[in-house]
Amino acid sequence: MRTYLKWYLPVLTGLLILGLWMGVKDAFGIRNFVMPSPYKIAHAAFVERHVLLAAAERTMIGASIGFVAAAVGGFLLSVIMGMSASFRLSLYPYILVLQMTPVIIFAPVIVIWMGPGLSAITVITFLICFFPIVANTTQGLISVDRNMVDLFRMISANRFQEVRLLRVPFAMPYFLTGLRIAGSIAMIGGTTGDVFAGDASGGLGYLVLVYDGQLKIPELWAAGFTACLCGFVFVTVVLGLNWLVLHKWHDSIIKIE
Amino acid sequence: MLGRERVPLVSQNPSALKYPLIKIAALTKRYRRGPVILDNIDIDVEKGEFVTLIGPSGCGKSTVLKLIASLSPVTSGTLLVDNMKPEKARKETSFVFQEATLLPWRTVARNIELPLEVSGVPEGERREICSRMLKLVRLEHVSGHYPRQLSGGMKMRVSIARALAISPRILLLDEPFGALDEMTRDRLNEELLGIREKQKFTAVFVTHSVSEAVFLSSRIVVLAANPGRVHRDCAVPFPYPRNAETRDSPEFQRFVTQISKELRAVNPENQ
Repeated sequence: MRTYLKWYLPVLTGLLILGLWMGVKDAFGIRNFVMPSPYKIAHAAFVERHVLLAAAERTMIGASIGFVAAAVGGFLLSVIMGMSASFRLSLYPYILVLQMTPVIIFAPVIVIWMGPGLSAITVITFLICFFPIVANTTQGLISVDRNMVDLFRMISANRFQEVRLLRVPFAMPYFLTGLRIAGSIAMIGGTTGDVFAGDASGGLGYLVLVYDGQLKIPELWAAGFTACLCGFVFVTVVLGLNWLVLHKWHDSIIKIE
Repeated sequence: MLGRERVPLVSQNPSALKYPLIKIAALTKRYRRGPVILDNIDIDVEKGEFVTLIGPSGCGKSTVLKLIASLSPVTSGTLLVDNMKPEKARKETSFVFQEATLLPWRTVARNIELPLEVSGVPEGERREICSRMLKLVRLEHVSGHYPRQLSGGMKMRVSIARALAISPRILLLDEPFGALDEMTRDRLNEELLGIREKQKFTAVFVTHSVSEAVFLSSRIVVLAANPGRVHRDCAVPFPYPRNAETRDSPEFQRFVTQISKELRAVNPENQ
């Protein structure tokens, strides 16, 4: 595939979608509150840019703290579970229970416990990001090559050396896959948190509720696109981290020559 | 059932020890309630020997190595390494696995340093030993490479260098060259003997290849399968150092034929 096509084709698709959007809207006379034109949305985004930016900043702060806490906490818990099978067997079912319960059900409880605001948003993001990280990292820690484990026994490595020098590096690609999944859903956590726990200084989720109430539909769409952009920021950061950690040795990064 | 015959053993270095470096007597191994893998095995390995275990699949030859390395417990019988229980002798034993088992996130040099790092050898000394090992396997030029950048033969040489870094008295090799093409295998066989001239270790080697066994060993133990037991124990009459020409001699060919016959005799498909 030629390199320029990698840029050219997606841009072309984007323009086609925009054209189709405007064409359909005009042809069927769809009203603005049902589906605003791209121009209207861009205009709304420009007019409301300060409000949108402030809201995005707020959601991003909540989502980032929750995401980082989930990454650190998830990693540590995984290492503990990777080191001890009894820990893993005792804890894992309850981590699953936590994950299987939709986070929306926890949200009101968290608001009752923590009050509305940033801390509640953070906790909701944490809950949504935690599981994919723990599930993937634990999987990585326990699927180490059998021969490598024998090698570490032969060189008389103790348990901590085995974890530090073998299991953790081996699990890195798994951990980063977990982070990628978590990064792409962190904004869901952040905005869900906003909707339930946002206060007057609210973030994007809260803003969507306000715009909806005021029937500011193009602005609502603009808030949606802003959230999407924030999501891209998350994923880009995680992909960068992924590259930094793995590019020297892992096949997933190495290009086929 | 075949009787057990023993050819008197010709050790390179007799009488250096009162006890054999590895003593296996009346050894039996079974996994849990599974079938008997090794049945009443006796093999003594003297210091300085290069003993190869050969036999059909399922004769338990790799299991013998695992037991010597104490990666798996003995069911009954005696197994002493340097007159100690095998787990006590790990410090002087190294294992070369069927696959190179290099850590892909470490460079060649850092892979070789791994056993030294784990046993707490200071960094300066580690570096020094590592560069000596790199020289031994002639891989100085790739010390900073990652394993994925190496060919199969090079990976195996790194694996051998890592095993030798702790200067083991005993080197256990489990079909280390099985996955390589014949030319690479022959070259690595020559290199392994060259390394042994310099490093002086006792080797227990497992292979499927008769000519590899004859070329490398001072003694070949032919095992029969189901359950695994010693069928023949033959000294290899060619002096060291050996080189590529050793393979071309008619005596060598004749000896290969002889061992191949022994192997055919124990092959379950011919019984």
